[in-house]
Amino acid sequence: MSEQNQGWSRRNFLTSTAASTMSVALLDRAAGAAPADEPKADPRSPVSLSLNVNGSTRRVALDARTTLLDALREHIGLTGSKKGCDHGQCGACTVMVDGKRVLSCLTLAAAAQGREVTTIEGLASADGTLHPMQQAFIDHDAFQCGYCTPGQIMSAVACVKEGHANSESEIREYMSGNLCRCACYPNIVDAITGAKPKMKEA
Amino acid sequence: MNRAAPDPKQNMGKPEPRLEGRLKVTGEARYASDMPVNNPAFAFLITSPVAKGQITAIDLADAKAVPGVLDIFTHENTGDLKHLKYDPQGGGGSTSIQDFGPKIQHDGQIIGMVVADTYEAAREAAYKAKFEIATEKPSAGFHSEGVKEASPKKSEPKAGDAEKAFDDAAVKFEGWYGTPTQHHNPIELFTTTVAWNNDELTVYEPSQFMYGLKNSLASKVGVKPEKVRAISHFVGGAFGSKAQLTPRTGLVALAAKRLNRPVKLVATRDQGFTIATYRAETQHKIRIGAQRDGKITSFQHQGWELTSRPDAYAVGGVEDSARLYSFGAVKTDVKNVHADRNTPGFMRSPPVVPYIYALESAMDELAYQLKMDPVELRRVNDGMKDATGKEWSSRSLMQCYDEAAAAFGWSKRNAEPGSMRDGDWLIGWGCASAVYPTHMGPAAARVQFSADGQARVQIAAHEIGTGILTVVGQIAAERLGIPVENVRVEVGDSVLPPAPVAGGSTQTASCCSVVAKACDAINARLNANGGTPAPAPRETVGTGTGRNHEETFARLGVATLEEYAEQVPKEVKPNPVMGLVVDPMKKLYSGSSMLGGGSHAEKLMYALGAEFVEVRVHRLTREIRVPRIVGAFAAGRIMNTRTARSQYMGGMIWGISSALHEATEIDPRYARYTNDNLADYIIPVNADIQQLEVILVPEKDDLVNPVGVKGIGELANVGTAAAVANAVFHATGVRVRELPIRLEKLLTA
Repeated sequence: MSEQNQGWSRRNFLTSTAASTMSVALLDRAAGAAPADEPKADPRSPVSLSLNVNGSTRRVALDARTTLLDALREHIGLTGSKKGCDHGQCGACTVMVDGKRVLSCLTLAAAAQGREVTTIEGLASADGTLHPMQQAFIDHDAFQCGYCTPGQIMSAVACVKEGHANSESEIREYMSGNLCRCACYPNIVDAITGAKPKMKEA
Repeated sequence: MNRAAPDPKQNMGKPEPRLEGRLKVTGEARYASDMPVNNPAFAFLITSPVAKGQITAIDLADAKAVPGVLDIFTHENTGDLKHLKYDPQGGGGSTSIQDFGPKIQHDGQIIGMVVADTYEAAREAAYKAKFEIATEKPSAGFHSEGVKEASPKKSEPKAGDAEKAFDDAAVKFEGWYGTPTQHHNPIELFTTTVAWNNDELTVYEPSQFMYGLKNSLASKVGVKPEKVRAISHFVGGAFGSKAQLTPRTGLVALAAKRLNRPVKLVATRDQGFTIATYRAETQHKIRIGAQRDGKITSFQHQGWELTSRPDAYAVGGVEDSARLYSFGAVKTDVKNVHADRNTPGFMRSPPVVPYIYALESAMDELAYQLKMDPVELRRVNDGMKDATGKEWSSRSLMQCYDEAAAAFGWSKRNAEPGSMRDGDWLIGWGCASAVYPTHMGPAAARVQFSADGQARVQIAAHEIGTGILTVVGQIAAERLGIPVENVRVEVGDSVLPPAPVAGGSTQTASCCSVVAKACDAINARLNANGGTPAPAPRETVGTGTGRNHEETFARLGVATLEEYAEQVPKEVKPNPVMGLVVDPMKKLYSGSSMLGGGSHAEKLMYALGAEFVEVRVHRLTREIRVPRIVGAFAAGRIMNTRTARSQYMGGMIWGISSALHEATEIDPRYARYTNDNLADYIIPVNADIQQLEVILVPEKDDLVNPVGVKGIGELANVGTAAAVANAVFHATGVRVRELPIRLEKLLTA
């Protein structure tokens, strides 16, 4: 009768998907790859991972099902990336992986091994100077509650780098994967327009 | 030019950037679920898959077998939690449905919670817990069998003989309107983390009311309030959803106590639709009688609002719709319809969003019937008194209309529906009024001022995105005569002096008034000892330039002066529903917020505005776009033009969302929400919003409160939906009276 009672549920679907995604990720990397004929391990038993986040190596042992978002927030202590839906629908968890924007809630932590992860905490310079996009968000009041802001800023930086910030309408389109319930959209567009020339200078 | 920072006009403060801006753009701002706790266990809720029934058996064997599971909580082992009194006026619990079974009273009711070493294990186990439920057929909504109609205790303004005036009227209009269920959907999820230290507990939970959270949780778990500390430095959006204690909080506290370990819950997005409140669907019948010149002689407004079985929650916006214009006579009525649903609650501009949508749609229909310009119809009915004879403290409605109409280019409008086109696009222009009562609550604050010109302000206010940190900093800077950079503001912690609920647009007025009072007390002590008097406040709205008090402090023999102040607005009267007369400040400390002002004050206190919208409807596909929107608003003193503009902007977009996007869909057979995620619950994305202009109309009103501030957070999304609906009619000739207006509703025309 209930969802919980059914033998085949979203949960064990995810479990098996997680397992296969992980093995693909591990096979990708020559170092540490598990032999394919080894008995299938319990996906719950911790997997040792080495993640490169904001230029530092972070070693963690995680349940294989752990998303990159939860790994960052709950295991590495970087809480700047936010959970707004855990379904890839809101964009609050947006980070860069190898320079491209990805939704960290839809990325397994294991799949990020060996890649360069950049979060909002890694955007400003080491001396504390804000990235031009961060400063533009302050100047143009491109946030209110601020919860979607880390994701918006990561997306905004990517939007400019991808070459999708050539007009206001193009910015609107390429920023539409990041929801802002306070609805600062016009200010976000202004911030990106303002930061773009400064990003070139930087 | 930076549109985000408008130049201040008369009685407006500087567009100071937000004090917490750096924290928010670097990811350093800590929201409740970001707060580090020692070795947390992770919780995952189990919610009911049916709306009505009885749990007959629970089998947790498979769930408990998941490695890492620490415990599972159901109705069978949570009896220690106390029942919290429900009050439809707010404060306390969000619902009286607080049990986790065996009786199931709404879809998605919490029936269990797994706590495990990892989030992943808790989630897996939650899906392996088996509940047998004897299901009964639920009543889903207005038109379902088995619903019960009742009268909530709401004020229903009456004046004159509205029925006779209607019968006698030369022009008569009657119309029905409907608004859908909506969910706040702040991007931050409903999270709760609780850590116990012996018999004391700390709760980290996003909150719009720190003292409510503290006191309500204390009652829920049966400890003294002083044993509870609530911390919520930043709130990731609230919109009314985080003002009351929801059932999850007590459950997490109980689990943390039993396990002797901090427990962290981050409820999922879909659970958020059923474990907290929402805006219930409403229906409206409006009857208007008018003279041929447009003067309205009779206004009758009946509202029906859905609610849960046990709780009589109603927003009762007739209180405001009946007063917006100088009607000749009014008659109003509000009914609750009780169904098998979770209890609704406050959602941004609770009374006025649905009720003013109905009124402002009807005004447009009447204007067409009278062949009058809709702006002129408002002008004819504008006046400084309502039908009951009560006067307005200030009213700048027509100034707002005139400024917004000029900026929009309204004079170029051809009133004939379908007459304005651009190729395949039908163009429609519409307008409507925005209105929100000016509330204020008791508040307390502590201010420290040092010889070096640095100040520290402490108040348990709520930074939900409104900019409270910044405007509190500005009022302190202004009163003490120092730059705003010299002020440190601390909010969001129940160890600080209490602020009222950040709801009803009360925060800026209430907090700034009490902070000003504390600063003035410091100034009095300085002045009595030969200090340089602070500059006259109104000449330096929102900022100061610098004063040197070294000598005065030296004379006083101290390095720092500290003042604690309490402010109870004279408009705060004991809530008639509660009956008891108690000290409002004592009530605030014990977790209930008493608000005064609006229509209950000596004079009518409201902020007002006017919004103009252009829509484009495709001739063939009926796709609806909003290429531009202009809003002009007058709300007394504006503390900060930047944060004010942003709130108005967000409100206007919320209004567009109400008009065209948002609705929670309900399966009428099972009384379940079907689009409980952010892909199917449609809110505007960046590409939905194009040109948006906010006009700040200067206004001065010293009656409303000591700082002359009217609340603005809930003003700008009122009336917007009507303006859009009116524009859609102008474009197409189709009058949609049930929100949201989606293209299928225009295909038949």
